[in-house]
Amino acid sequence: MSELQQHRHERRILGTEIAWAFGVGILIAATLSVIVFTALTKGVNPPSNVERIDPKTLHLAGEFAEHNLGTTVAPDGGVTVRIIATQFMFVPRCIAVPYGRPVTLRFATPDVIHGVLVTGTNVNTMVVPGYVAQVHTEFIRSGELLMPCHEYCGLGHSEMWATVQVMPESEFKPGSDGRISCARH
Amino acid sequence: MPSDPPSTADDPSNLGDDIDHAALARVMRTVPLGAGVLAGGAVALLVLGYLLIYLLVFIPRGTVG
Repeated sequence: MSELQQHRHERRILGTEIAWAFGVGILIAATLSVIVFTALTKGVNPPSNVERIDPKTLHLAGEFAEHNLGTTVAPDGGVTVRIIATQFMFVPRCIAVPYGRPVTLRFATPDVIHGVLVTGTNVNTMVVPGYVAQVHTEFIRSGELLMPCHEYCGLGHSEMWATVQVMPESEFKPGSDGRISCARH
Repeated sequence: MPSDPPSTADDPSNLGDDIDHAALARVMRTVPLGAGVLAGGAVALLVLGYLLIYLLVFIPRGTVG
């Protein structure tokens, strides 16, 4: 094979590699654009709250004391749900949330690492001792959704689950103290 | 005890001596196209799967942050 031919073959291979690199560059840019576009237009971001809490005392007083758990509607209409994830249950076992309204879920744990997801939604976070896990979301599926622990937390892990009751606006009526529990069927 | 004679493959100067340059040139002419089609097809399927899951599963599940 002449040197000219070899040179031509090498140039063709180089051209293919450059074309491939260019295509991959476009794919990476497109993937990043999709992530940025979704974040800016739909408000979809990884939950990234960093907030410390003492796991040894969180049940004694303050935000995660027993009387403060569950769903609270602030005077401005903001809905906040406070949940404790503990071996091997969520407290409370059922939470009431409104359909199609912004909701803030706040989780804390006094013992080990747990994980939370709500089926059929993008709600998915870890609950780490010493930190408050917070997720902002809007429930657009009505009915009862399962909320299991998805991080192995001990022998009773498979029994650790709760229910999210998504209520239509007409049924979501908090009491005078702004609190609301699941409706009983 | 007699030991095995040293293999010629151990000597780097002997490596590649048997390459048929004409055959290599033939292979090199077609490899980029075949590899490109295979890799391109695989990546296209991967991207298609990503887009389908993104559009049909992730977005309908609603906002989170």
